[in-house]
Amino acid sequence: MEIAEFRTGLAAWLDEHADELAAPFAPPGTLDDQVEQMQRVKALLHAAGWMRWGWPERVGGLGGSPILRTELGAQLVGRDLIDPGIFSLVEVLAPTLVDFAPPQLAADVVPRLLSGEEMWCQGFSEPATGSDLGALTCRAVADGDPESAATWIVNGQKVWTSLAQYSERCVLLTRTGSTESRHRGITAFFVDMDTPGITVSPIEMINGVPEFAEVFFDDVVVPADRMLGELHGGWAVAMSILPYERSSCFWQRTAYLQRRLQLLVDVVPDDDRTAAVVGEAYLQLHQLRARSRATQHRLAGGATLGAETSIDKVLVATTEQTLYDAALRLLPGTVQFDDSAAGEAWRAEYLYSRAATIYGGTAEVQRNIIARRLLDLGEE
Amino acid sequence: MEAAERALLEKTVRDALEGAPTGVDRVLAELGWLEMLASEPRDAVDVVFTALGATNATATVLDDVLAVALGLDPSPDRVVLLPPFGSWAAPETSGLATVRVGAVGELVVVSDGGRRRALVPAVDVAVTPVHGVDPEAGWCAVRVEGAGTDATALDPGVWDEAVAAGRRAVAHQISGACRTMLTLAREHAIERVQFGRPVVRFQAVRHRLAEALVAIEALDATLAAAWDEPGPMTAALAKASAGRAARTVTTHCQQVLAGVGFTTDHQFHRYLKRVLALEGLFGGADDVVTALGHTLIATRTAPTLVDL
Repeated sequence: MEIAEFRTGLAAWLDEHADELAAPFAPPGTLDDQVEQMQRVKALLHAAGWMRWGWPERVGGLGGSPILRTELGAQLVGRDLIDPGIFSLVEVLAPTLVDFAPPQLAADVVPRLLSGEEMWCQGFSEPATGSDLGALTCRAVADGDPESAATWIVNGQKVWTSLAQYSERCVLLTRTGSTESRHRGITAFFVDMDTPGITVSPIEMINGVPEFAEVFFDDVVVPADRMLGELHGGWAVAMSILPYERSSCFWQRTAYLQRRLQLLVDVVPDDDRTAAVVGEAYLQLHQLRARSRATQHRLAGGATLGAETSIDKVLVATTEQTLYDAALRLLPGTVQFDDSAAGEAWRAEYLYSRAATIYGGTAEVQRNIIARRLLDLGEE
Repeated sequence: MEAAERALLEKTVRDALEGAPTGVDRVLAELGWLEMLASEPRDAVDVVFTALGATNATATVLDDVLAVALGLDPSPDRVVLLPPFGSWAAPETSGLATVRVGAVGELVVVSDGGRRRALVPAVDVAVTPVHGVDPEAGWCAVRVEGAGTDATALDPGVWDEAVAAGRRAVAHQISGACRTMLTLAREHAIERVQFGRPVVRFQAVRHRLAEALVAIEALDATLAAAWDEPGPMTAALAKASAGRAARTVTTHCQQVLAGVGFTTDHQFHRYLKRVLALEGLFGGADDVVTALGHTLIATRTAPTLVDL
């Protein structure tokens, strides 16, 4: 399946099934609404095959380039069928299982995520471990010899775990070495969220949506065959997510922002001040798309993505905030005082956009990486 | 062009320009510039203009790029009247020209809002060298005082394509200049010691340099898109991106260079002055961005110009 064929075929199918796919609520809806909508859309797409392209056949996929997945997400987001933030978890979590889970486990569970049967979450960050992931302390102890134990016992806390309250499973990073071992003493597990000892406590974000949660682990028993990758090999698992997050997810975010710019362009007056603000947002979006497209094609061509994607990250965060700043300036009072559904949506998204320079590695961390790795400026 | 071939070309052109403080046009001609422009326009324009920017060399090859876009054979005897500083409208009776204008018998002039192309003999134009911020660039202000000969009707869109070609070329030149400014600032930050350590170890300094690199990479991605999907919109965006990069890179690099970047002892000032002038050619970023915004609002469409 080639990208051009996929694009036109998918667009035609989405047109044909537009009524069936449309959200049954006025945007933004509640988080419950959004999650239900996403799982419903995934189920329809999976049954029709679209959700399976770009995934390997050994996990129930139809094969083809991962670029097909990126295109799918972009079209769904561009039509406002799903929220890109919560949909991006597929791209963040499924490749981890494909690459690091025992083959039978991956074959069993990945189709459940793709088809909307299950939700998964990512247990990485901790209260004392934001940008500095290598300092995490949520501990997993082998019940016996680490090399042969049948089970591991997990104790600790995660935070900023998106959609934990909806999730059946969690890709969890744990400390299995000494704290001083930092990134060399981390191990990843695939944990069932209904295991006794797990408590989920949602956190309300600045826009009122409880997307995140704290997750507490109290003597949680995890079978050893749920280990992802090697013992003490969790850092490699965590880092393997980066290429997908920095390619597919960013491209889908761009499609989402493009749609928001279109909503502005639909209604704003044609004067010089407005045109300058619209033009600036358009320029930044175009730069981001140009950069992100090149990144997709490098990945598809077999390149290993690395520190240079910090450029993409800076661009996506800057563009997102510029776009919502434009909305704030060009839709007077909408974010602040408009209680219609459209006003609610702009308000929720504007407030969410402030996090773009914080999550996924802060703007400052990205600039540190650019300075150290791309400009070769040495240590601070 | 294959990657290896392209890398060799980049090195050849760069080395030649660095070794040729004057006579750059002749050096480029000997390297086969016009043949390259005809056979591999993207690589030719990218490599040559990037190298011109990177070395701060002065040449008049922009005339060749414009001549081709206007449907003429380029030659060292052909010079094209450019719009005045800050404008991208057809120049009508006044505009800018490269230093080549002093050595040729006639000038290509587009008028009637881009619908008419004519050749105006040198005796019918008044040429005034522009000193300005960047006297070494050799810009001339030109006033046309005759109707010219060989008038040809241009198809709608030809002038827009010529502007697009000029914008891509100038944006490459700005990109090259920006990379050199970043290199100069980086070297200075590594060598300069204050408070007992190289200033490059201060995060505030590192972040300025990182910001400059982000701007340059965004520009280069936009330039690649302008060649992949050639047209007035993608070229306008590339030129606007170049203007933004020029402002970001000059600001941060001059601050990192600090006192020495404020003198003519250090070569930074040449690059700063060059991009200040280039930024206004075919429209400065603010005006281009505002014009794009008007287009989007008038058509109620924000088109996506690049796809997977």
